[in-house]
Amino acid sequence: MAITEERPLALPSGDPARPSEPHLGVFRRPTTTTGWRSWLTTVDHKKIGIMYGASALFFLVVGGVEALLIRLQLAAPNGTLLSADTYNQVFTMHGTTMIFLVVMPIGAAFANYLIPLQIGARDVAFPRINAFSFWCLLGGGILLNSSWFLGGAPDGGWFNYAPNSGVVFSPSHGIDFWNMGLIITGISSLSGAVNLITTVINMRAPGMTLMKVPVFTWMALVTQFLLLFAIPVLTVAQVLLAMDRLYDANFFNVSAGADPLLWQHLFWIFGHPEVYLMIMPAFGIVSETVPVFSRKPIFGYPFMVFSGIAIGFMGFGVWAHHMFASGIGPLSVAAFSLSTMFIAVPTGVKILNWIATMWGGRLTFNTPMLFSVGLITMFTIGGLSGVTHAVAPADTQQTDTYYIVAHFHYVLFGGAFFGFMSGFYFWWPKAFGYKLGEGLGKFNFWTMLLGFNLTFGPMHILGLQGMSRRVYTYDENYGFDFWNLVATIGAFIIALSVLSFIINIFVSKKRAASLPPVGPDPWDARGLEWMIQSPAPEHNFDQTPTVAHLDEFWHRKYAEGDDGRVRRVATGDEVAQPGDGTGVHLPSPSYWPMVAAFSLPLIGWGLIFNLYLAIFGGVLLVVALWGWAIEPPDDIDGVHHDHHDADPSGDVEATGDIEATGDASADAGKADVTAEAATDAAAVPEEAPVG
Amino acid sequence: MTSVNTSSPRSRRSVKLLGLLGLALISSACASGTPLDTLEPDGAAARTIQDLVGPVFLIAGVVFVLVEVGVVLIAWKFRARDTDDDDTLPAQVHGNNRLEIGWTILPAVILAFVAVFTLVTIFELEERDDDAIAIGVEGQQWWWRFTYDIDGDGETDITTASEMVIPAGTQVDLSLTSNDVIHSFWIPRLNGKRDVVPGRSNTLSLESDEPGYFFGQCTEFCGLSHAEMRMRVIALPQDEYDAWVEEQMTDGPTPQTAAQARGQEAFSGLCASCHSIRGLENQPGTGENPIPLVSGVAPDLTHFASRRVYAGGLFELYDGEGNVNRGQLEAWLRNPAAEKAMAPDDERGMPNLGLTENQIDDLVEYLLSTADGPVWTGPRND
Repeated sequence: MAITEERPLALPSGDPARPSEPHLGVFRRPTTTTGWRSWLTTVDHKKIGIMYGASALFFLVVGGVEALLIRLQLAAPNGTLLSADTYNQVFTMHGTTMIFLVVMPIGAAFANYLIPLQIGARDVAFPRINAFSFWCLLGGGILLNSSWFLGGAPDGGWFNYAPNSGVVFSPSHGIDFWNMGLIITGISSLSGAVNLITTVINMRAPGMTLMKVPVFTWMALVTQFLLLFAIPVLTVAQVLLAMDRLYDANFFNVSAGADPLLWQHLFWIFGHPEVYLMIMPAFGIVSETVPVFSRKPIFGYPFMVFSGIAIGFMGFGVWAHHMFASGIGPLSVAAFSLSTMFIAVPTGVKILNWIATMWGGRLTFNTPMLFSVGLITMFTIGGLSGVTHAVAPADTQQTDTYYIVAHFHYVLFGGAFFGFMSGFYFWWPKAFGYKLGEGLGKFNFWTMLLGFNLTFGPMHILGLQGMSRRVYTYDENYGFDFWNLVATIGAFIIALSVLSFIINIFVSKKRAASLPPVGPDPWDARGLEWMIQSPAPEHNFDQTPTVAHLDEFWHRKYAEGDDGRVRRVATGDEVAQPGDGTGVHLPSPSYWPMVAAFSLPLIGWGLIFNLYLAIFGGVLLVVALWGWAIEPPDDIDGVHHDHHDADPSGDVEATGDIEATGDASADAGKADVTAEAATDAAAVPEEAPVG
Repeated sequence: MTSVNTSSPRSRRSVKLLGLLGLALISSACASGTPLDTLEPDGAAARTIQDLVGPVFLIAGVVFVLVEVGVVLIAWKFRARDTDDDDTLPAQVHGNNRLEIGWTILPAVILAFVAVFTLVTIFELEERDDDAIAIGVEGQQWWWRFTYDIDGDGETDITTASEMVIPAGTQVDLSLTSNDVIHSFWIPRLNGKRDVVPGRSNTLSLESDEPGYFFGQCTEFCGLSHAEMRMRVIALPQDEYDAWVEEQMTDGPTPQTAAQARGQEAFSGLCASCHSIRGLENQPGTGENPIPLVSGVAPDLTHFASRRVYAGGLFELYDGEGNVNRGQLEAWLRNPAAEKAMAPDDERGMPNLGLTENQIDDLVEYLLSTADGPVWTGPRND
């Protein structure tokens, strides 16, 4: 654990001797911290996290409408609601949207919002890059969805197998949008991954060794490593495909000697880790909520951590199980069959540990807990059906049928999305200062559980009855009618459930006005994020806490009595920081991340339609990066508050040499060193250049 | 504890209910009327898979019940009660290494057990009988082409479309490739699926225990009309198969009526740009305006009327009583793209040739003269 003991990464503070120079007005940093403008320029990880969540909810509605269209089309045989062409676009966009614009971003939302709070940091390591990551995601999502209005959406499936994704077989520009959009969201994921990895490795509160890091942050860290290594493979494949489609290259042109299986290997080397990076944040969420609502620590913390890491590693060694029917030869099939079976082991360990956490606890079934138990029970089904198609001969009957559709929806909806819902209900008071109502919450849960199982449970049967995936119609005498109708009804119950969640957001907010404040610790929870007020103050922690335990906050509330029983010794309110920190110097907002990010879709549209637009986008990107590089580190006219007195609890205050939340891409010499640096008189001679 | 006891009957009842529900689900998955069912093998390979799937499903089912029932029981047993003192906590257990190691190893052992049988089956499915007959399978947007080399001289002797005829009780060794994008060949009651990949040759075996009529479906997304790329396999008794082979080796029909003669003329002038009928002078690529199909090939129609299905397995040529579905065939000739999703403007699929009603009538007469009737008149296997 040397890495945690030494903590070497202190950015030098600004040079106080250097006089402040006048800057071109345009390069001044924006100062707004309230109102809608502040969201456009913010570099606050909490606001960025919320924006990730909001945009993901928007795209959830988009992808959900697409799902309902699919279900309406298939509700009865020989459906005529959608044409074959439209259906192919809709199912392609449903999958692409849900994966890249909903599930991954919700994971990013939680990671962004929670990681700094859970490790006791002021912000992420690179706040402006963080903003850039978000705007890239939004830009990529807009570019991708603009295809609906610019000649047709991609129609090759989310997996876009070559050569069907070539220009000959998919002459519309849809797949070009798919390429460009996902290359841009890939940039978002990659820059986010680097950012969050750096944050977790370098910016943990003093005393928080790696084995005291909360499980959510651990799982989010594994997720970031998966992104770091998996996303570039997709990007490479997409660049090859884009070359083929836009510039007549021959990477996937069979008549020029290409082997179409190249695409499959590239895609699934990305695609399978992708599955795990989608589920991993939800695993982390459940590992936070189950202990809280069981009033017990997580069972087998080290096993939870290491099984997560094991899944991360093994996730890169199972990709060809998507290709059992591709004709890769029995030896390859056997090898990947084996590796796929055994990735079930660490996953099973996680499930059993959650159950063991509940065992002997004192369980309260608030909405977050309901959704967490929902994940445990539903993901188990997805995991087990996963084992049934790890058995390769069985998979040759199951693959590309609705059995697979059922499987991965149990994993990604019953797993990831139930986990996310749990997380929404759990951390909502922390983020927004009010609880989501329990009544609507329970309605939300039970309708989702019912609708989910009605929709995707029958798909197991349909798949085993031989219904293929990605078919826009099926024959009336195939015996598929009944369960398809049930699935369609279920889909609308899910829609009702999602609607109740959205209603809950507004209803609860309105009701909260007449309720007492929710307080820092509404759930009697365990992690550092509950040690600050709700909603989380802009500066997070008044003082950086010193960590002695896993679940540090809980340990400050409870202690073992003489009789060996654990008793409360303090309330959350007593232990929590008051949120009145002063002298806190936060990274200033910036226009440039957004400008840089929005130049990318311009390049994308330009490459598809008109190179001049691409050139304009490129120039804008250069300008944005230039502005980014030379903008002053601080708000010149900003006010800095007084220093805060040392905290009697012994928490480290203002440890500039421990964790400067520098915006490291700004010149380190005059980095916008934040509160810690600025307030630690010993380490830093007063504040940044122009305090 | 008292509450646990009182709850027991109820939970037992719900367990029973769950079990019944599970049974209902499973049995409904095996219901008849499902020609594509994966759980009702009618051939050797499919049965080999089934023998492996059954125990795996059983193990998964046991684990499923244990976990789900366990979670529900634990949730009930350890639920918070109003009498609990909020300021003291239940025993704070942080873990148990022995348990952890146990539940790491136990699933690994079960999986190792499954793995052994899986590996054996993987290789078993690749074995071929010495007397297996070879059939070539070519996928293209959006129909299947089957080629037979009867005399083994390396030349194709029989070409059919959408419908593969095999002898029952004999293993068939398929060699699969594609003329455009990736498709997947799947006759669920006879074997699992195997992709057909352009530029590659994959193999798959089929063997039907008894004569039968089997449904299939392309299962790799292959573009616009993927859903309507279907196929049939007909397994005939050996003697009927031999007769079928003999019939298929002959040339197409000689017109017997004036209408058939006009139909043949129309075929030679219009259809033969893409379709072939053996014995006709005009063959694809030789006419005045050969259409440069992306896949390079359209169905061979030499013995069209011997097939149950056409248009990529989408339409039945004959109804249950063996009568011709004439109206559907006429509609198909009138405007193919209205009947099946296709992209003829991109040279993928059958174009609208603007046939007159008289031409359509003549063509139907001619096409129906290509055989006396369907090769299979029995029911489908479901």
